[in-house]
Amino acid sequence: MATLAQPRPDDELTRPNVATASNRLPAVRDYQQIDRDIIGTLKPTLGWFALLGSAILALLIGIAAWTYQIREGLGAAGYQPPVMWGVYIISFVFWVGIGHAGTLISAILYLFRAGFRTTIYRCSEAMTVFAVMTAGLFPILHLGRPWKFFWLIPYPNWRLIWPNPKSPLVWDVFAILTYLTVSATFFYVGLIPDIAVLRDQEKNPTRKRIYAALALGWRNSDKEWRHFTRAYLFLAAFATPLVLSVHSVVSFDFAMALTPGWHATIFPPYFVAGAIFSGIGMVFTIIIPIRKFMKLEHYVTINDLDAAAKLCLFTSCVVGLAYLTEFQVAWLSGNRVEQEYFWNRVFGQWAWAAWIMLICNMVLPLSLFSQKLRRNTTWLFILSIFINIGMWFERFVIVIPSLSHEFEPWQWGGYHPTWVDFAILLGSFGWFFMWFLLFIRQLPVMAIAEIKEIIPPRMRHDHDRSHDLDALTLDPINTMGDD
Amino acid sequence: MSNDTEPMGVKRRDFLKVLGAAGATVATVGCSTDKIAKLIPYTVHPDQTVAGVSTYYASTCRECAASCGIIAETRDGRTTKLEGNPEHPLNRGALCARGQSAVQGLYNPDRLRGPMVKENGAWKPIEWDAALTLVSQKLGEARSTGKAGAAVFINQHETGSFPNFLDAWLAGFGMRPHLSVDFETDSAAIEANRRTYGVAWPRLSFADAKLIVSFGADFLETWGMSVPQQLDFADARAKIEGAPRFVYIGPRRSLTGLNADQWVACKPGSELAIANALAGKGSIAEAATQSGVAEATLTRLQQELASAKPGLVLAGGTAANALDLALAVAAINQASGAVGTTVRPAESLAAFDGAARFGDVVAAVEQMRSGAVTLAFVRGANPAYSLPASAKFADAFSKVAFKVSFSLYPDETTELCDLILPDLHSLESWGDADAGRGTISLQQPAMDPVFAATRATADVLIQLAQKDPANAARYAQKDYRSWLMSRFPGGMNAFTAALQKGVASGAVAARAVVATAPATLPSVAMDATPGEYFLVTYYSPVHGDGRGANKPWLQELPDPVTKVLWSSWVEIHPETANRLGIERGDILEVGTANGKVRAPAYLYLGIRPDTIALAIGQGHVSVAKLDEFDGRNDKVHPVQWGYGRYARNIGVRAHDLLAVGGNAAGGFSLASTKATLTKTGDHETLVSTEGSARQHGRGIAQAISIGSLLGGAAGGAAGAATDGEHQTEHKIPGAASHEFLPGLRSPVAADAQGQLGAPSAKDQGKNKGMYAEDHWSGMANRRWAMTIDLARCTGCSACVTACYAENNVPTVGAAWQNATVYAVAKPGFNITRGREMNWIRLERYFEGADDGQFTEDFESRFVPMLCQHCGNAPCEPVCPVYATYHAPDGLNVQVYNRCVGTRYCSNNCPYKVRYFNWFGYGEEDRKQYAFPEPLNWQLNPDVTVRGKGVMEKCTMCVQRIREAEMRAKSEGRELVADEFTVACAQACPSRAIVFGDAADPRWTVASQVEDRRAYHVFEELNTYTAVVYLKKVNHPGPASPVRA
Repeated sequence: MATLAQPRPDDELTRPNVATASNRLPAVRDYQQIDRDIIGTLKPTLGWFALLGSAILALLIGIAAWTYQIREGLGAAGYQPPVMWGVYIISFVFWVGIGHAGTLISAILYLFRAGFRTTIYRCSEAMTVFAVMTAGLFPILHLGRPWKFFWLIPYPNWRLIWPNPKSPLVWDVFAILTYLTVSATFFYVGLIPDIAVLRDQEKNPTRKRIYAALALGWRNSDKEWRHFTRAYLFLAAFATPLVLSVHSVVSFDFAMALTPGWHATIFPPYFVAGAIFSGIGMVFTIIIPIRKFMKLEHYVTINDLDAAAKLCLFTSCVVGLAYLTEFQVAWLSGNRVEQEYFWNRVFGQWAWAAWIMLICNMVLPLSLFSQKLRRNTTWLFILSIFINIGMWFERFVIVIPSLSHEFEPWQWGGYHPTWVDFAILLGSFGWFFMWFLLFIRQLPVMAIAEIKEIIPPRMRHDHDRSHDLDALTLDPINTMGDD
Repeated sequence: MSNDTEPMGVKRRDFLKVLGAAGATVATVGCSTDKIAKLIPYTVHPDQTVAGVSTYYASTCRECAASCGIIAETRDGRTTKLEGNPEHPLNRGALCARGQSAVQGLYNPDRLRGPMVKENGAWKPIEWDAALTLVSQKLGEARSTGKAGAAVFINQHETGSFPNFLDAWLAGFGMRPHLSVDFETDSAAIEANRRTYGVAWPRLSFADAKLIVSFGADFLETWGMSVPQQLDFADARAKIEGAPRFVYIGPRRSLTGLNADQWVACKPGSELAIANALAGKGSIAEAATQSGVAEATLTRLQQELASAKPGLVLAGGTAANALDLALAVAAINQASGAVGTTVRPAESLAAFDGAARFGDVVAAVEQMRSGAVTLAFVRGANPAYSLPASAKFADAFSKVAFKVSFSLYPDETTELCDLILPDLHSLESWGDADAGRGTISLQQPAMDPVFAATRATADVLIQLAQKDPANAARYAQKDYRSWLMSRFPGGMNAFTAALQKGVASGAVAARAVVATAPATLPSVAMDATPGEYFLVTYYSPVHGDGRGANKPWLQELPDPVTKVLWSSWVEIHPETANRLGIERGDILEVGTANGKVRAPAYLYLGIRPDTIALAIGQGHVSVAKLDEFDGRNDKVHPVQWGYGRYARNIGVRAHDLLAVGGNAAGGFSLASTKATLTKTGDHETLVSTEGSARQHGRGIAQAISIGSLLGGAAGGAAGAATDGEHQTEHKIPGAASHEFLPGLRSPVAADAQGQLGAPSAKDQGKNKGMYAEDHWSGMANRRWAMTIDLARCTGCSACVTACYAENNVPTVGAAWQNATVYAVAKPGFNITRGREMNWIRLERYFEGADDGQFTEDFESRFVPMLCQHCGNAPCEPVCPVYATYHAPDGLNVQVYNRCVGTRYCSNNCPYKVRYFNWFGYGEEDRKQYAFPEPLNWQLNPDVTVRGKGVMEKCTMCVQRIREAEMRAKSEGRELVADEFTVACAQACPSRAIVFGDAADPRWTVASQVEDRRAYHVFEELNTYTAVVYLKKVNHPGPASPVRA
């Protein structure tokens, strides 16, 4: 059969040389166990059906609310001029932010050879794709006339009208679509060897056919691996700048406006840091239950979570610095409008939201300086929920107080979301988790091939059993080093 | 349209119909073709009517007694807009909000559509013939039983020929002259004028005065004739140098009071003591004690009054001693030589001639109660609402055997009647009014009746007379129009000629009113009544004595003082509120011996801490139990008792708190009682358009004191640091100087090209802005601009309603316009969410009294705020689809069809003048529909009705601009300077708004923008606005602290 090349240290384009890595997964014995454990997670359970049902129900509630909103008009949501943007834009930025951790973990950390990414990147990537799919809905459903959303896309038309290239909203369209395309491609490409494994293990003919189609005829050849690794590296390099650019562009929605509190050059880095922070928060929210309920504790080790928690702590500090810098800039600006806005933000009508943000994003993550807490999955999970809430409120604090407290005091106002806002927000979680739950039972939540790579080489010879034909001849990784 | 059974394809006629209609549809609503059937105009059009071309009819406004001249713009047989008649001596082209709203009375969806009779307590339609027979029969019975003499005819007060016609008709049936009722008239002032000058209402010349002192006379609102007075007052104030200082004396600062330079906050009823003291007839110290005003203030005022001659002192007292006050004030005017200069009896005005007094009405009610009255007629007036509950009108009225209403609307009085013979609206019928000595103001129909089964009361009276053998001979004319023409000075030809202008010289015979002493009314001394607080009630500047409440434009018009709408409120000083733990919106119960009302609190700086105030005008109710109106376009129109769907169950009837008390002139005492105040514990969000009432030092409404202005510190760069602001430390550091920006004078809006944004030479011409270089070509070299003179603006808000009328702006505050979404059927709920659509709004900022403690020394500044049509507009670059963009002539344009509704433009607008269609206000199948049939007849055909989900804003009446340009083009000429103007400027009763082409020096606006008081709002944002404000000018008193 096919002979796989040994990883070559002199070839820069190959994957990291994991052959020499220390044993990062002491509890994993061999490839068969990896196959068994990870493919075993695909078996649906009653609990999974219950969760999926809840997600779909939430989605249906959201769809019903949106239908109602389209029929009645956007007034069904809680907009309260001058607050012309509300829960939808907040949620848009929130979901785009979530969508950042995946690519960061799978691409940037890949390029940086960060070992802890291996076991968590697949979930993160899936989360990214689904989060961007969710985020992309919000700009449409926040439109006054959502059925005209395609006018934001440059398409040939007899009126010769194109979108306005000066509008940050048009940049958004490009940024989001590009990011969705690239991250989905990256996600899929990384999946191909694993899908091939599933194809080979699958007994159900229908599913087998589907996996076969998705595997694109992967035969595990040397040549395929060479192309695959290069393509993967290329995509990682391609996706990396997008991690920075997408949220920078999203931040331009605010920074390009002259609204007090928005009009700030700090926004792009501040948004990127916030996005990564929120994304890692969401990764914890997702990976900790998966790890527990799918019994993958010996794959996603405490060491990995510890490393991710450090990244979380770091981004939290960056975000916190950005918060403080905003206040400092307002203070030093001498601009009365800006100063009054920031005062109102923390001590005025929106103090409650601002303090939720500051405590969740700036104060609570400081607990991660403690190694004990970093390695405490319960605390990490609780903290991640706080981070999710805090980051949603960060966007709330950016969007709402600015708009409600602008230049014209006569038009200062408030904001009271309605049940429609919340139903649609709930629907977005339903939409996201529906996809995610479908994902975890159809595709491996961890990269089988990559995990096999990080198992110490000696284990490759430890074939005391399962000399079945499939495993030997069709599982590409199993045959590594056999020659 | 086509016959459904027609088997063959499209008939030629139908094809042409569709073709024409489709063209019209595309022209008006864009690409939608689903309403073809409704857009077909006349097949055979009447003479003088050209489809799509407006006809203008000069007529007379009948919304208050003043009778201003109006021009009704009529398109395809439907009146769409009322404008002031420039030829009219009273209003000189201006028109107030109430006058503008007459069209919503005309097209009110709750108008009574035909005669109805009450049988066994239930209303049934009746044919006109049967109805007239019934009335004839009742008239005959009254005459034969000898009770005709006691019959009562209550008519809404009007001048002109009709009162005489009516009295003659009544006499023909043996009845006494009618009661000409207008609750807003100031009987005390009229009586004092009669006694002092021999006329009911002398012309007041504000412009000739050196000092104006008003004792509660709200001459910018409901006192006297508001529009003519406002024009004159604004002209006086606009003199700048030598403009009169204005002192307002009263317990509450009304809109007029807010326009004063100084407020003397006296106790209600103590005005007389002050007036006497000022006249030297009483001691200052005594007056100071009685009124609660500092002695020094009164002394200074006395000195000022003595030195500033001629002064103009006005009395509008509403307490029991109002007549004494009016007489005292008249004496001051006489003594100071004001008579003949500022008070001109020789040029007297006739608007209030023949008006009945409150006491006369009460006397008539008492007669009804005694059972002497068997027959009553009511036309226009609504005594069941306007009289306080303590008058027990309904009880007395029910004793009258047969009661006929000629009302257009299902108001409270009409509901109590037995027969309704709905009148025509003044825009559908003939009439005349006395515009002043020697001038007749004509009223002509601008269109056919909206409802075919309504008839002009005058015509009905003629028909009734013709049915009666004893009277028939005297009424040879077939209708009132013929009667009117036959009596017109100069005959029919003169009449026809006069119709074109709406006014004619000549005089209407004054109504012969038997001079009677006013019926004695109990005079209630306020101090004697129980209660902690003085209660001041006043007629709403918006709704008058309640007449305005059924018009959605007026419900949607914020009260000029409190900015509350769709609601009632209790005014209370913040100091008192603080002491009682009351916050804005807390529901208070105000109680007197006569009743209790509950309304939310409004914390108002301009009221004495020992006084509370309530406006009269809301609180219409029905006797019949009616379901909450739900807003669907029902095919069945049940009669909306309680003055229609827009008025019913909104707010409270403040006058129900009052006793039937009056002054010696027979006028109603609006300040006659003390009241108790109880906090109920309930709270609601006050329906108001007011965000923050403070400018926070942002220089939106700027003012300059007359001293600084004349001393050279003008509106220029040097002035910016010292004047503009209430306190200099509020200045925005880094704010640009208020030097004039070049963008406005550029021949095209090159500023949006970025050329003028970069004064440094190296950037000039490089920064091309958003648009292609040839974007400017092919259009006139214009820059449409506007100046708003804050020294003139009184905050009356006529511009707001004018804009609603011109631009099809929907009203959004009716309860049902929100009920579906929040299950809250609260009037004004949309407005509590900030969703009002007023393209131009009147902001009212306070300066001073920052600590919430009571002080007389605070200032208010009114700023009409509308789209500034920035040369460098923040809204334009952020729109992803170019729905808002820059027109070559400097306009910032909103393309509704292109808008997808991202609302980014509004977020980026520093002036917050963009309004979003949250609901389908223009979609007739929605509950939120703002123009229920036939209100939609008023819609301006030149302006799109916006659908849901799009942004809209002030267009600077682009339809008027284009119309004028096209007219000039078709006539082969250039636009003439000041040839046309925009709706707000046209209506403005203080002439504060000037519109025009700033790039063409021949236009007035081009010189106005260079005024020394000119400034741009938020100039530091480099928006290069096309709206230029001229600073308000303050006239501080000799020793009052200098603010500006």
